Amino acid sequence: MAKAKEIQRRIKSVNNTKKITKAMEMVAAVKMRKSVEAVLKTRTYANLAWVTILNIAGSSELGKNLHPLLNIRPETKKIAIVLISSNRGLCGSFNSNIINKAVSSIKKHGDIETDFIVIGKKGLAVNSRYKYNVSAEFSKVDYVSEVKEVTPIARLLIDDFLSGKYDKIFVAYTDFVSAVKQISRVKQILPIDIQTEDEYLGVVGKSEKIGTDKTYIAEKENKYLRSNGQKYIFKYEPSSEEVLNQMIPRLIELQLFQALLESNASEHSIRMAAMHQATEAANDLVKELTLFYNKARQAVITSEIAEISAGSNALKS
Amino acid sequence: MPDQKRIKFEIATPERVVLKEEIAQVTVPTVEGEITILPKHSPLVSVLKPGVLELKKMDGSIEIISVSGGFVEVLLNKIIILADTAERAEEIDMERAEEARKRAEESLKNLRSIDSVEFANLSAMLEKELARTRSAKKWRSLKGE
Repeated sequence: MAKAKEIQRRIKSVNNTKKITKAMEMVAAVKMRKSVEAVLKTRTYANLAWVTILNIAGSSELGKNLHPLLNIRPETKKIAIVLISSNRGLCGSFNSNIINKAVSSIKKHGDIETDFIVIGKKGLAVNSRYKYNVSAEFSKVDYVSEVKEVTPIARLLIDDFLSGKYDKIFVAYTDFVSAVKQISRVKQILPIDIQTEDEYLGVVGKSEKIGTDKTYIAEKENKYLRSNGQKYIFKYEPSSEEVLNQMIPRLIELQLFQALLESNASEHSIRMAAMHQATEAANDLVKELTLFYNKARQAVITSEIAEISAGSNALKS
Repeated sequence: MPDQKRIKFEIATPERVVLKEEIAQVTVPTVEGEITILPKHSPLVSVLKPGVLELKKMDGSIEIISVSGGFVEVLLNKIIILADTAERAEEIDMERAEEARKRAEESLKNLRSIDSVEFANLSAMLEKELARTRSAKKWRSLKGE
């Protein structure tokens, strides 16, 4: 009987866990719906803006640099990566994927000295596990609704870039493609450079193909900036400094905002999927355990009957 | 080269794409003053200020959109407007826009001594509301004819 009791206890505990994972799945589903809605709303704007800024960066090749934030430094001594992770665990491989992606892309480009700026608590693993320096940590809210919320981060990045602390700044985020597909990406945001390696270049939230190649931007340039073989240069009103001074910081902010929204949507959908799997696994386990329990119970009954009949036989004879 | 007499026009805000259409001409309020862009305009980037955006569609009808700042990018036969907020005049409720403008005015009056950041925010809001009521009025007078 002892064995059957033990199994019963396990069934109870698995059932309790199942309740929790089920609840978490439903919470994640609600959060996912909201964050997906948010990400889809701003995506067009963010993509249009990013392509615009890349076209501007591309048109300033003529020896003069239009703006310090477009300045590509001849040597890369130190870089910063903004890592967007989650605050809480239980979301499958969301955090480990993005951290691995960031670390492997540092390794790939020759182990340049790197500082991390972490958004979300789980990202601190880059420090504890990989020993990278974390220069700033920002908390993350579950719903990001206003661009204002990323303004301090954007300001920090722009200041550090201009002061020469970092020569390049990247954002590591998880691109939301669909509820079942999310891609970890590392994207260069400063300096804004059309010539960055393909891996780094990304138009947020488009299909995989567009996100990783330059043809999209080149296509726009060909179609709308060239005519009869002549390339047009943008004019700026009132002046290039004034326009770009207003435009670039705002667009950097917006890119960060978009990356955050994409990561949020991905996080919630990954968590939902992970919790769904956990619930299913619990169901399977309960089924199996119930089978074992019944077997054990039957074995006990059989042996009891055998004992009783053996006893009565002994009395008769 | 595509048709030279039309412009591909797209206006987007962080919330949504307000309008995407082929048009004949557009007048935008930039910080340097209003400019009208016709087909074959040379590429230009400029900063918008709160105001009324007026565009003429291919069938000759006129559409009014209120914007509250942002950027305009003119390419060959394509215009992209990245607006902070934008609303089509036909969607603006005149009475409520007027109320919102009054509220903005009130709070600006009451807060005159508070720090400059708040003041700037409030006056930006007032300008936006002014642009909205102006757009709605313009739209009404157009329809009234």
